[in-house]
Amino acid sequence: MKLLKIAASALMLSTAATAVNAAQFEFWYGNTGSVETAIQAACDAFNASQEEHTANCIGQGGYEAGMQKAIAAYRSGKHPVLIQFFDAGTLDLMLSDAVVPVQDIMPDVNWGDYLTGARSYYETSTGELFSQPYNGSTLIFYANMEQLGEVGVTEVPATYEAMVEAARKLKEAGHECPVTTDAHPWRVLEQFSARHGAPIASNNNGYGGLDAEYIFNEGPVADHLNNLAQWREEGLLKLNQDTKAGKYNVAFNQGECAMMEASTGSYRSAFEALGDKVEIAMAPMYEGVERRNTLIGGASLWVMKGHEGEKLEAAKAFLNYLRQDDVQIEFTRMTGYMPVTQSALTKLKESGKADMKEFATAEMGVNSLNQPGDVNSRGLRLGFYVQFRDIFMEETQKAFNGGQTMQAALDAAKARGDALLRRFEQTYRGVELP
Amino acid sequence: MSNRFYRNKWLPLWLASPQLVVLFFFFYLPVFLAFFWSFYLERPFGGGSQFVGWQNFERVLSDPEFWTSLWRTLTYMVVASSTSIICALVLALAADRGIRMSPLARNVLIWPKAVAAASIGVIFLFIFNPFMGILAPLNEMFPGFWNPRINPVHTWIMIYIANIWSAIPFTFIILLTGLQSIPDTLHKAAAIDGAGPWRRLFDIQLPLLTPQLFIVVVLEIADSLSGSFALIDTMSQGGPGGATNLLVYKIYVDGFKAYDLSGAATQTAMLMIVVAAVTAFQYLVVEKRVKYER
Repeated sequence: MKLLKIAASALMLSTAATAVNAAQFEFWYGNTGSVETAIQAACDAFNASQEEHTANCIGQGGYEAGMQKAIAAYRSGKHPVLIQFFDAGTLDLMLSDAVVPVQDIMPDVNWGDYLTGARSYYETSTGELFSQPYNGSTLIFYANMEQLGEVGVTEVPATYEAMVEAARKLKEAGHECPVTTDAHPWRVLEQFSARHGAPIASNNNGYGGLDAEYIFNEGPVADHLNNLAQWREEGLLKLNQDTKAGKYNVAFNQGECAMMEASTGSYRSAFEALGDKVEIAMAPMYEGVERRNTLIGGASLWVMKGHEGEKLEAAKAFLNYLRQDDVQIEFTRMTGYMPVTQSALTKLKESGKADMKEFATAEMGVNSLNQPGDVNSRGLRLGFYVQFRDIFMEETQKAFNGGQTMQAALDAAKARGDALLRRFEQTYRGVELP
Repeated sequence: MSNRFYRNKWLPLWLASPQLVVLFFFFYLPVFLAFFWSFYLERPFGGGSQFVGWQNFERVLSDPEFWTSLWRTLTYMVVASSTSIICALVLALAADRGIRMSPLARNVLIWPKAVAAASIGVIFLFIFNPFMGILAPLNEMFPGFWNPRINPVHTWIMIYIANIWSAIPFTFIILLTGLQSIPDTLHKAAAIDGAGPWRRLFDIQLPLLTPQLFIVVVLEIADSLSGSFALIDTMSQGGPGGATNLLVYKIYVDGFKAYDLSGAATQTAMLMIVVAAVTAFQYLVVEKRVKYER
């Protein structure tokens, strides 16, 4: 009798639990700060907009932390339905067998509406979107026009030659930090090589197969990094660790440095700090090189395997909600990230808001993404790329600190990166690149 | 009753079982899994793991980064534990006399032990900030005089100082207790025989302090491995240019940030072997020289 009671109450409990679960699903994201506020606002708005589903949005305190937790959760079968992953982990996820392509589970959506630059980074070789682009950013150039104006520069430099000229003028006028960067590979390697049409790795940056090798240590990228090192010697460029603020974008926002290359996502804080003084342009080119598109940065939304029924339906409804033009425009306003579909962009332009300072990055960024592309500006399909970024940072930092020449650093990064690619190839032996 | 109670041969096991269970789940099992994974090539999200024999070991052992990191770790082990023990010993010798308020002082001195290594890292990072910290005025006078963000030597100095600061209190208390338990009569007799303070230090205090010195060496060496993680994670993240990438931090980065579970497991296995060797050396060789009898 007692046993029966226990069994009955256990049954009741479990049905009660499913009743709650049915309407609820979990969404994990990595952003913090003002972007987190915007994501939470979108979640609240989704929950308020209908009664059927409840999105439970949980911040993980960073992209990398989110990925770590997702791996642990997936291995123990406690993973969320929907998760936000960052650009560099794209190939790791595509081959993980832990996600399902969004285009597979939602075939009716007009995926062609997504901007080309956003699509190519996240699609398979057959043109199927694997994840839904969400907070899209790209690299643009920021200038403090008040400081540039003092030395007679009235336009944001469009080429590196012009940037260096302006930097020299600033230095002669006693400015301590004309240009700043953190020399992170997203800025100085990926975005640089994409818009200069230079390859990072063979096989079209890995799109052609897992047996790609790094080849950035010769050609335009190598020249650029050598230039960066030289400009730093000359006192034109400061790295994170040289600035008083300790971080390049903070140094720019505080007026310590006059120019920087940074994500469109940095615009909001720069505008809040500097107001009309800050002006933006597409990231500079070397003279005589044809401009290609920049890559989409930020993150996209992935549907994880192993969920079905109402939970999956709820996640789909949330994805549909986030794709709406107005939701995207509001997210853009709150964060400085760009709209990622053509229709949202058109609507933003038609509404006349595009000229407002809050939306200044949208048009600039999209314009940069929509430049004519080539095989080297589609994106990256390189395994263990997150680790490669660390290696690249480590080796180039050694060069900046004088421990080795920049060429030796690039060669070492290539060698260590190739070892990673070979291990990735072996880890996913027999897996076809989707 | 007492005799029969204590003769039960299962009793010791029962009494030890809570700790053994905890140790099993949080130590032996993970260690076993690390050794297990070091023979497999593991995918981050699971599935498709393949047995690769000694291949992971070959990869790790032929990786110069691993050897530099291991060498750095051993250096850190020796330098960090010896500097902190010597500083604590000097302080303990200085405090080993009947000074007023010394019980209170001893209480206050133990407090830094309660501060987590990560918090210490953050605090010292601020203290040694090249533009705002205590050395900033020197930087104003001689630009580039001090910058732990760029110069690896400066970074190491900063980490060692933070480590000494956090390690001193506990070591100090243990050594001071040891010093105070040395009978006064020995000092007095030696003094009457004409032995000066230095002679008494080397012939009476240090030899009688060996049990305490041994235990602090064991604890400090173990702590230099685990405690260094929090300091490096908050202060340098292995930089600049990988100069402070100790093995514990490298394993974390490889495993959790780079999804190289097999490589991290293999390096963990190697680290276990090193730690076991160091501990065995301490107990089998060094402890023989410790005088527990007085």
